[in-house]
Amino acid sequence: MAQAGVGDRWRPPRGRHRLPPEVVARSQRERLLEAAIRVVAIKGYGAMTVSDLTREAGVSRTTFYELFEDREACFLAAYDSAVDVLVRRVTKAYESEVEWSERAAAGLAALLETLAAEPALARLSLVDVGNAGPAAQRRYRAAIQRLTPLFEEGRDFAPGGRNLPANTSRMAIGAVTGLLADELVAGRGEQLPGLLSDVLFATLVPYIGPDAAAREVDRLTR
Amino acid sequence: MAGSETRRQLILEAMVRVVGRKGYKATSVADVIEEADVSRTTFYKHFEDKHECFLAAYDLVTKRVLDAVIANCDAEQPWLERMRVGLATVVEMFALDPELARTAIVEVAAAGADARQRHWNAVARFTEFLADGEEMAGNRELPENIALMAAGAVSGLIFDELLTGRAERLPELLPDLLFAMLVPYIGPSAATAEMRRAAAG
Repeated sequence: MAQAGVGDRWRPPRGRHRLPPEVVARSQRERLLEAAIRVVAIKGYGAMTVSDLTREAGVSRTTFYELFEDREACFLAAYDSAVDVLVRRVTKAYESEVEWSERAAAGLAALLETLAAEPALARLSLVDVGNAGPAAQRRYRAAIQRLTPLFEEGRDFAPGGRNLPANTSRMAIGAVTGLLADELVAGRGEQLPGLLSDVLFATLVPYIGPDAAAREVDRLTR
Repeated sequence: MAGSETRRQLILEAMVRVVGRKGYKATSVADVIEEADVSRTTFYKHFEDKHECFLAAYDLVTKRVLDAVIANCDAEQPWLERMRVGLATVVEMFALDPELARTAIVEVAAAGADARQRHWNAVARFTEFLADGEEMAGNRELPENIALMAAGAVSGLIFDELLTGRAERLPELLPDLLFAMLVPYIGPSAATAEMRRAAAG
C-alpha cells in the first residue's frame, strides 16, 4: 500500500547525522502520533502516559516536550492526523463518482473499509475522543464539520432539497455515527462494511425519503 | 434499610449534578461526597469507585427520562402524536435541567466503553418506543435499525447544542429535532409539515 501518512516507519540514523533538524523532528513527531494511536487503542486515553508514548516511539522525554506541551496535546494531534486520513480517503472515493447518491455510497464504503481495516484508528476517531475532555469533544465536532459538505450536496440532488432544514446534513451524520458507534462499542468493528446499506439509507433518507432511499440503496449496494 | 437507600439516591443525584457541571473526567469522589453531604465511608459502602457510581447514576437518569416519556404518552394516541409528545418531553426535561442533559448526552461518552454501551441500550429502549412507526409507515421494507438512525440524528443535534449553546435553548430546536426523528419513516415532505406545525404551535 503506497499511502503516506500514519504508517510511515522511516527513522533517521542513530547518533550524529547531518539531516536538517526539521526533518528529524518531523519523523519523531510522526512516530509519537503513531505511538499515541497504538497506545490509546490498547489502554485508552485515560491510562496513556508520556512514558508510554516515548517508549513506543523511541524518543526521549526531552524530545517529547520539545514537540508537545503535554499528553493531551499529543493525543489531539494524533486525532487530527487520523481524521486527515479518513477525510482524505472518503473524499477521494466520493469524488470518483458523479451522481450524489453514488458519491455518498462510494464515500461511505471507503469510510467503513478504512475503519474496519484500522481498528486503532476507528477507536481513536469515534470512541476515545469522547473520553479526552472538552478540547477533544470540540475536535470531534470540527471533524464532523469537515464531512458536512459531502452531505450538503444532497440538497441539489433532492427535489425540494433547498427547502430542507439547515442542519439536515448534521442529522444524517448523527444517524451514521450512531450506527457506527453502536457497532464499535459492541466490539464488532470488523463487521462495519456490512453496515453499508444502513449508513447509505441513513444518509439519503432525509433528502429523498424512505421509498427512494430504499430503491437507491438496493441499486447501489448490489 | 430506608436510610441507606436514601443515601444511595443522594449520592447518585450528586454524581449527576457534579458530572453535569464539571464533566466526567474532572469529577472526583471528593466532589461527589461534598455535593451529597455524605462521608467517604458511606460512598464506598455503596459503590466501588467513581466509575461504578456513574454507571448507576446514568441508569437513574435514563429511567427518569423514560418514565416521563411513558407517563406523558398515551398508547391510544396516533403514532405521530406520541412522537411529538415524547420528544417534547425529553427536550423540556433537558432544558429545565442542563446538568441532566450534559450527563445524559455528552459526558456519557467520556465514561468508558461500558457507559457508552449503556447509552446505546437506553437509546434502543427509547427507540423501541418509536418502533411502532414502522407499521404506520406502510408496507415498505425499512432497515432494521431505522430507530437507531432516528435517535442518532436527534442525539447528534442535541450534542452539538449542548457543546456550543445552552440546554435552555433546546426547545427552540424542537421543530428540527422532530424533523430528524420522523424523516426516516415519513420522508422529507411530511416531516417538513410536522416541523412547521411544531414551529407554529
